[in-house]
Amino acid sequence: MTRVILGLSLRQLVAQRRTLLLVLLAALPVALAVLFRVTGGSLEENPDFAAGIMAHFIVALVLPLTALVVGTAALGQELEDGTIVYLVAKPLPRWQVVLAKIGAAWIVTATLIASSVLLVGLVLFVGQEGASQVPAFMVAVVLGALGYTALFVALSIRFSRALIIGLAYVFVWESLLSQFIAGVRFLSVGSYTVSIADALADSPSRLVDGALSGVNAAVLLAALTALATWYAMRRLAAYQISERV
Amino acid sequence: MTAEATRTTTATGATPTIEVSGVSRWYGNVVAVNDITFSVRPGITGLLGPNGAGKSTLLHMMAGFLRPSSGEVRMLGEGAWKNADLYRRVGIVLEREAVYGGLTGYEFVRLNARLHGLDDADAATRRAIDLVEMGPAQDRRTGGYSKGMKQRVKVAAAIVHQPDVLLLDEPFNGADPRQRLQMMEMLRAMAAEGRTVVFSSHILEEMERLGDGVLVIVAGRLAASGDFRAIRRLMTDRPHAFSVESTDNRGLAQALVGDPAVSGVQLENGRLIVRSDDFGRFTVQAPRLAQEVGVSITAMAPMDESLESVFEYLVQR
Repeated sequence: MTRVILGLSLRQLVAQRRTLLLVLLAALPVALAVLFRVTGGSLEENPDFAAGIMAHFIVALVLPLTALVVGTAALGQELEDGTIVYLVAKPLPRWQVVLAKIGAAWIVTATLIASSVLLVGLVLFVGQEGASQVPAFMVAVVLGALGYTALFVALSIRFSRALIIGLAYVFVWESLLSQFIAGVRFLSVGSYTVSIADALADSPSRLVDGALSGVNAAVLLAALTALATWYAMRRLAAYQISERV
Repeated sequence: MTAEATRTTTATGATPTIEVSGVSRWYGNVVAVNDITFSVRPGITGLLGPNGAGKSTLLHMMAGFLRPSSGEVRMLGEGAWKNADLYRRVGIVLEREAVYGGLTGYEFVRLNARLHGLDDADAATRRAIDLVEMGPAQDRRTGGYSKGMKQRVKVAAAIVHQPDVLLLDEPFNGADPRQRLQMMEMLRAMAAEGRTVVFSSHILEEMERLGDGVLVIVAGRLAASGDFRAIRRLMTDRPHAFSVESTDNRGLAQALVGDPAVSGVQLENGRLIVRSDDFGRFTVQAPRLAQEVGVSITAMAPMDESLESVFEYLVQR
């Protein structure tokens, strides 16, 4: 049954017009990488470029934005439109709806971002050293996408303005406050993602310096994902549908 | 009317399929449903009441979508809230027009069949679509459907698993007369198979044509229940009020007050309010009496023919 909802949700998410915008967003780092190579840039002269585009552009910006748009739409749109009744008025527990929605949002986000990382990697590292960074980052963004989408699906059940709250989380908490308050890295999906990528990559050619150890980051990410999923399930189980409110 | 409240709504002798006992629901300080008790048996039961009376809230609670603030709704012998298994035997059509616009009518109904875990989703889908006569439009996207078509495809989705209980909120909104008739026929056929159909409406005529039993809901309370003829009688036997304007309101009032058809007169802002318990006699007598005292009536209109005033009357009893 979860598969039916997963299929429906994937179809809904892919058919949305804003998905085209997300594809363009994911293509942006690829275009920058191409520009870098075409204009004669090389990673030997400019070693920070790869880190900049992977960690500061894809992980810090494209990944959370994509997860935010997809994650808040996956279930939030059904709650807003009232189509949720077709899912909950069925003989299946509501937690299955939550799992299917997080799953669909994750698949869409992970596919977009992992493709972006792969293409950027192909463009930058062809004939260069350090290509092992690419699979490390791909695994990291796929895992990070799960944490983000679980978080944003949970937000969308709790708040009708989940998009704005999610934006505040990404830009104020993860991007801004993490520069001043060291402890933020323990509660930041972006920091988990970079740390996992760092831990997976071959150390001689490291692009980034993860703030956490790989194990710590993975454990924290798993805990956050589990907590957000559990909260979303609890909220939806108690969710009341009415014409008012 | 409180004695009426415990009466069952349909005449057939089967055990109740829906039992609503002492149910209230409030939103903040606003009471939407106020201590309502009734039971529903197989057959067609109508929830009649003006807009905003609490019919939708009541239906949502029966559907297990809303938790009652107090009291209990039992559906097929089980609690309705947080009971997903009940949906195997219950179908729900809400008023809101929401459909998955990107799916065709067929895909939408089939999605519902698959979510119910039906063995042969395609056969069930074809059957449901045939019942609402949506075959010709089934391959078009629901996003482009008219209001009436959306309504019918929603009904098809709700009956795809052949539920024992079907709940419908304002099902005839947006339907043209032919579609209305067709849907009424379909609901009657379902009731004839021993199923329970509950629908809400603010239109008296729909009750007359469809409801075996009628529950009248006004301002969150159960105002009356019984078969349609009993409700109708309550409504026509009530006192009528007329607003009368004439060349001499005071003189006319004196002439009218002695007539047995008139139960009260009142002068108000240059017009005369006349109450009558006997609509037929009053309309004959008023011009005659006016003529006798030499007063010309310039305007006369019934004041309370709206359904709302009928409901108000019922509530006050």
